[in-house]
Amino acid sequence: MTKGKLRDLSFFLSPMVLMVFLFYLVPLVMTIYISMTRMRNWNVDRYLTEFVGLYNYERLFHMFQHDPTFKAVVMTTLVFVGITLVINVFGGLALALATFFINERPASSYRLLWLLPRMSPIAVYSLVWYYFFHGSEIGTLNSILMSLGLISEPIPWGQVTPWGAWSVIIFVNGLVGVSFGMIVFTSALNQIPKELVIAARVDGASSWQISRRILIPMIKWHLLYVLTWQFLSLLTTYPHLFLLVQWDLVNRDYGTTLALYVFNTAFGMGEQDQGLAAAAAVILSIIGILGGFVTLKVLKFEKMMKKPRGDF
Amino acid sequence: MRDVETRPRRYERLIILALLLASLPLILGFFLLVLSSFSTEMVTNLDPRSFHPTLENWINLFQGKIATTGGIRVNIWRITLNTLIVALGVAGVVTGISALAGYSLSRIDFRGRKTMMVLLLVLHAFPGVALIVGVYLLYRLTFPQNYEVVGLYSFAYVILARAALEIPMSIWLMKGFFDTIPWEFEWSGIIDGASRITVWRRIMLPLIKPGILAVALFAFLAGWQDIIYVRTFLVYPTLATFIEANIEAEYSHMPLIAAAGTFYLLPTIIFFITAQQLLLQGYSGGIKG
Repeated sequence: MTKGKLRDLSFFLSPMVLMVFLFYLVPLVMTIYISMTRMRNWNVDRYLTEFVGLYNYERLFHMFQHDPTFKAVVMTTLVFVGITLVINVFGGLALALATFFINERPASSYRLLWLLPRMSPIAVYSLVWYYFFHGSEIGTLNSILMSLGLISEPIPWGQVTPWGAWSVIIFVNGLVGVSFGMIVFTSALNQIPKELVIAARVDGASSWQISRRILIPMIKWHLLYVLTWQFLSLLTTYPHLFLLVQWDLVNRDYGTTLALYVFNTAFGMGEQDQGLAAAAAVILSIIGILGGFVTLKVLKFEKMMKKPRGDF
Repeated sequence: MRDVETRPRRYERLIILALLLASLPLILGFFLLVLSSFSTEMVTNLDPRSFHPTLENWINLFQGKIATTGGIRVNIWRITLNTLIVALGVAGVVTGISALAGYSLSRIDFRGRKTMMVLLLVLHAFPGVALIVGVYLLYRLTFPQNYEVVGLYSFAYVILARAALEIPMSIWLMKGFFDTIPWEFEWSGIIDGASRITVWRRIMLPLIKPGILAVALFAFLAGWQDIIYVRTFLVYPTLATFIEANIEAEYSHMPLIAAAGTFYLLPTIIFFITAQQLLLQGYSGGIKG
């Protein structure tokens, strides 16, 4: 490498390298370290050096076996990730296909509308659903069902465990994730040669047949991409759940996934236990990193990376 | 390309209607929130009798009177300014860093380039929650002793920490924009003896203005909507933490909180109207869902 190239590269890359070092690498090491200390209530002076080895991991394992609250969290994580993933992928696919078969004007309005959950501030988005699913008669859903005569008493949706709470968190997060699939699938569909669809139409194929026989097989790679990507996202995101639990809209135990559990254990109200939170975070990261590498291998991302043209 | 020319028309209305039905909760929820901000009581149960039009909530909000009794006041403009500082800061940091790194990943061949790109993808998939405990410890360990700089420090820290989350995907996005520029533009500059840095600044940056705009827009929205990082690191309130704290507070007047929510939604609505194409094309990257 010549001196000039080295200078150029450090000019272009050093801010990024610095950020990655400061906000990914150092925190990761620190999290692993905290997971092996008795850190609580952020009492850094007292607990930072109190090394306890794998004690926090043993506690997690013990809780997994015996603590009903923690069991609820693990169950919630599994159900939440599983069902929301299906909704995200197939909801996104349904939206992309539906807007593919209609005129451009209504199609792009709908696509924009479905970006709203992702674009709006989390606090406002949560506020909307807070009133929608509110457990008393002021809740929109309750009042609709009551005026239709389907129920006579308001139902406290989020407090009905486990499925009431699960339905609310899956619904609220499902809407956020759907737009990701929608956008990816829409751009994939638009790259399919027009002639294929027209030829099928001329042969008398219906929209359903076109979707099933032509469009979906051609966007298989994108399906796989959205599936794995959303899996990782769902496993680790929690901001949308945070307020729903904080505001008591959903049951605390059955509205908390492992990612939210980590956050609330480290920063929540009452006694904070960063050692335990860090241990859970490390376990989540291991799953995430493994998932990330499997994704890369399965999707063959490396093949997509070409050498820059004409560099010397 | 879309399925237009040969498609039978009879199903189109059906699809549009089905989409409308599916979107109904979404439309209804946001509509009721905005409506409530112009009403004396919350309009959430579809009862038209609870809607009494008024502008009082908005006037009180801008005057900072958040409760109808007791005289509890906040300076909403100060809170908005805090939110804006975070959002603009995140947008600036993310755009700058990704414009630099995106260029070199797109145009310069060096050892470790592939590894770096794979690593960025893995970083994006990396659980943010696993980091925040460590990020907070770093925050505590570097916390200034001098009280005068605490505010400045917490702003700088929250901006950098939040920007770091957006950086991996933004670099990928920016690299994509650089990839679309024909190599010849740059080549002519280099033949004339300009360095890569000059070429980047004088030739490439003006060419990828749309890309810069897109990345900046998404980063702005990410900083603007954030709640977790601002409530963990920032010592001042933002619109997000203001709403969070007031939902359960005894004294708060809920239609006024609805007005605050609508006010908080304004940039989103503005971008909705002005940057539709940009949003539809570029929103696939950068944000987790």
